[in-house]
Amino acid sequence: MLINPEILTLYILNILFFIFMSLAFVMSFKIVLRWDSSATTELQYTLEKRSYLSATIIKYIFYIKIPLFLFFIFTLDKISFVLPGAMCGAGVVNASEYATPLLFLKVINLYLFAYWITLDSEDMKRESQPYLKQKFSLFLVFYLLFIIEIALETTMFLNIDIKSVVDCCGAIFSNNDDTYLSLVLSMPHSLLLSLFYGNFILMYLASRFSQVTLFAFLNLTFIFISLISLVSFFGTYIYELPTHHCPFCLLQQDYNYVGYLLYGVLFIGTFRGLVIGFIELRKNERENSYRISLFFNSLFLVIVSSYTLLYFIKNGVWL
Amino acid sequence: MIELQSVRKEYKGGIVALDGVDLKLLEGELVVLRGVSGSGKSSILSLIAGLSKPTTGEVIVDKKRISKLADHFSTLYRRENIGFIFQKYNLIPTLSVQENILLPLVPQNLPKKELESRLQRELINFNIESKRDVMVRNLSGGEQQRCAIARANINNPKIILADEPTANLDEKLSLEFIKLIKEMKSQSRTIVIATHDPLFFDLACVDRVITVKNGKLL
Amino acid sequence: MTLLVALLASTFFLSNALKLEYTKKIQNTPDIIITDTKAMRETLIDENLVSDLLSINGVSLALPRVYGAYYFSKADTIFKVIGVDEFETYPDKSLNALLLKNTLDENSMLVSKSVAKILKENYYDSYFNFVNADGTLKKVIIDKTFESKNSFREEYLIVMPKCTAKEIFSYPSSMVTDIAVMVANGEEIGFIAKKIETLLPNAKVNIKEDLLVEYENRINFKSGFFLTIFIISFFTYFVIIYDKISGLSSEEKREVGILKAIGWRVSDILNAKLYEGLIISLSAYVIGIIIAFIYVYILGAPLLKSIFLNAISLLDDCELLFRVDYETLALLFFLSVPLYIAATIIPSWSVATHEADEVMR
Repeated sequence: MLINPEILTLYILNILFFIFMSLAFVMSFKIVLRWDSSATTELQYTLEKRSYLSATIIKYIFYIKIPLFLFFIFTLDKISFVLPGAMCGAGVVNASEYATPLLFLKVINLYLFAYWITLDSEDMKRESQPYLKQKFSLFLVFYLLFIIEIALETTMFLNIDIKSVVDCCGAIFSNNDDTYLSLVLSMPHSLLLSLFYGNFILMYLASRFSQVTLFAFLNLTFIFISLISLVSFFGTYIYELPTHHCPFCLLQQDYNYVGYLLYGVLFIGTFRGLVIGFIELRKNERENSYRISLFFNSLFLVIVSSYTLLYFIKNGVWL
Repeated sequence: MIELQSVRKEYKGGIVALDGVDLKLLEGELVVLRGVSGSGKSSILSLIAGLSKPTTGEVIVDKKRISKLADHFSTLYRRENIGFIFQKYNLIPTLSVQENILLPLVPQNLPKKELESRLQRELINFNIESKRDVMVRNLSGGEQQRCAIARANINNPKIILADEPTANLDEKLSLEFIKLIKEMKSQSRTIVIATHDPLFFDLACVDRVITVKNGKLL
Repeated sequence: MTLLVALLASTFFLSNALKLEYTKKIQNTPDIIITDTKAMRETLIDENLVSDLLSINGVSLALPRVYGAYYFSKADTIFKVIGVDEFETYPDKSLNALLLKNTLDENSMLVSKSVAKILKENYYDSYFNFVNADGTLKKVIIDKTFESKNSFREEYLIVMPKCTAKEIFSYPSSMVTDIAVMVANGEEIGFIAKKIETLLPNAKVNIKEDLLVEYENRINFKSGFFLTIFIISFFTYFVIIYDKISGLSSEEKREVGILKAIGWRVSDILNAKLYEGLIISLSAYVIGIIIAFIYVYILGAPLLKSIFLNAISLLDDCELLFRVDYETLALLFFLSVPLYIAATIIPSWSVATHEADEVMR
C-alpha cells in the first residue's frame, strides 16, 4: 500500500465527488421518471429546480476533473521514483493491472463529461429543451462509469506493491516483445504517416463539404492514429532517441512538459470534432466547431511535425 | 399583445387571488388596473411578467405561451420584454445608482461600450446623471423612483408594468411620474399600471381602466 | 480558510525544506556503514576486516571508524567524540579540512567552540580528564579550538587520535566502532552491500539510501499527521460554511428575489455565487501560501520545526532553504479550492431557486 500526500488528496477529492455525483444521480433518476414539461404541478417545479442542481454538480466535477487528471498523471510520475525499476509513469502503469484500464476510462470519461456539458448547454438554449430527458438518462450511465473509475483508482493505489520490480518504459514499449503494442510499434513508418496526414486531409475535406458524420468519425480515428504515430514515430524525434517510445516521459520536465500541450490540444480538437456528430448544432455553431476542431488538430499536427523537421534540419538525418 | 385566458391563481394556504380572469391588452395600450390591496391586481402583473405561473389557465404574450415556459426561459422572456416598477422600488440599497441601473444587463455579458451608452441614455432621460455614483439609500424618494424606472427601462422593454407606483409619493412627485409614463406611452409601449390612486383614473392618456375586485374583473 | 491553507502550506514547505536539507547533508556520509552484531544488537567490529572489504571489486575506500558519545555529568552534556588518524582522508569534507590545518599528538584533542566553553565553565582550560569506560581517568590536552561551520553535527564535537578515543571508550585493540565503505559507482551500492552481507554474515550493513528513505518516511508520516488534522478541521469547516450560507438572511432572500424579478435566471445567480466562492477560495489560497512562506522561510517556523525535528534525531538544528515546489502548490490548491466551492454549491443553489414571488408582496 502506498500513501503519500498526493494520493491522499486524490482520495479526498474522489470521496467528495462520489457524494455529489450520487446526489445528482438520485435527482436525475427522479427527473427521468417524472419529467413532464407541460405539467404545472409542484412536482414539476421541484424537478426543474433539481435539474439546475444536477447540471451544476456535473459541470463543477468536470471542470475540476481536468486539472485533477493532470495531477493524477503527475502523481503517477512521482510514484515512479519509489517503485524500483520505474523511471516514469509508464512503470507505474505496468506495476498494476488496474492502471491501463483506469487510464483509458479516465480519458473516456473526460470526453463523456465534456459531451454532457455541451448537450446541456444546447438543451438550455431552446425553450423546448429537447435534450432534457436524454441528457439525464445519459447521466445515469455516466455515473456508473464514474463509479467504476473511482473504484479502479482506489484499488490501484491500494495494491501497488513497492517491493516488486517493474519494467521501465524502454522495456514496455519496445518493438521486440510479443505483444500487441510491439506489433503496432513495428508498423512501417511510411504507412503510419500516410494514415496520419491522410486522416487529417480527409477531415479538412469533410468539413469543407459539411459532412458532419464523416467529420466526427474521422476525428475518432484521428485520436487513435495520432496516439499511435506519436508513440511510434513522432515521440522518437521529441526524445531524439529511436527506441524511446514512451507516452509518459513526454510529460516530464526534461521535455518541457510538451506532453501536456500535445494531449491537451488533441483532446480539444477531437472533442469538438466528435461532438458535432452527436448533437445537432445550429449552423454558425457548427461552423465554429469545424474551425475549432481543425485548428487544434492542426496545432497538434504542426507541433509533432516540427519536432521531426527540426531534428532533420539540425542533424541532417532521419532517425 | 397580452392575453390572459381563464386564469386562476391560488396561493399556498388556499388563498384565491384570481378567479377565472379573461383579459386582452393591445399593443401600445395604457391600461390601469383599479382595485384595493388584495384585489388581485398585483397578481395579474406578476403573471404577465412571468414571475409566477397560473394555477390553471394560460398567459399569452405576443403569441407565446409564457405560462408554459420553464423558469429558465420565462426569466429570459421577462428580461427581454418586461420592465417592472415595484411598489417599494426594490433597489439594492448597498449599490450605487449606476450599479442598480445596470444590474439587469450583468448576465448578458455585453461589451463595456454598450453598457456605458445605455447607462448614459437612462441617466439623462430620467434626470439622475448627477447622482450616478451615489448609493441608493442616500437618495430622496423621487430620485429613487426615477432610478427604479431607469432600471426598468434599460433593456428597452416592450411592456412596462408598474405596481402602486405612487403609493409612497406626494402629489408633486406623483405628477412627475405621470409625466414620465406619458413619455413612455409616446414610445408606443404597452403599459399596465396597478393602482388605487385616483389620479390615474381620469387621465387622457389612459386607454382603459379595468376594475379588479376579489380576483375577478368587473 | 486562509489559516487552514496557511497551516497546511507551512507543513508542506517545512517538510520539503527539511528533506532538501538532509539530502544535502547526507551527501557527506559514507555509502555503506558496517557494524557487527551480537544477539542482534550492534557491537564493535574488527578492523582487520578492512582488507577483505577492499578486495571486493568496486569498493574504493574502507575506513575503520572510532567515534562515540561521552557524557560529561557535571555539565549534563553529551560530547561527540571522533577518532582520527593522520593519514586517513574522510568522506566528510569539513573534517578533512580541519585535519589539514592541525596535526594531533597522542593524548591531545581539538574541541569545538561550544565544548571549549563548557569545559571552561567547569574549570578545564587547557586539558580535560575523561572518565574511561573502565573507570580510570585519562588526561587529554586541548590542542586547539575550532569553529564548526556546518549547522549540524559539529556541536559539542571533539576530535582526537583514534588510539586515545579507543582508550576512553575502552575498546579492545583491534576493534572499531564501524567500518565506513565508499563505493566508486553509486549505482552499485546495493549490489556491493549484498556482497558484504555474504562475506560477513553476522554483520549489519546499512546503506545510505535506506537512511534517506527512512527519513523521508518519517517526515511524510509527520506531514501525514498534519494532513489528517487538516482533513478533520476541514470537514468541520465545511459544515460551518454550509450552515452559514444556508441560513439565508431575509436581506439576501430579498436581493435574490429582486435579481430574479429583473431578469436574472437561476443559472445566472448560481454562476455569480460560484464565482464568488472561487474568488474567495483562490485569494485564501494565495494569501495562505504567502503567510506560510513568511512563517517558514523568513521566520524560521518556530514551534512547528521542533515538532518535526523530534522525528529526526539526526538534525539538531538547521537552516531552512528556499525552494519553489510546484507539486506542493498544486497539492495545496486541490485541497483547498475545490473543497470550498463544493461546500457552497448546495447553499447557493438553494438561494438561487428561491421563489421570487415574495418580492411582490
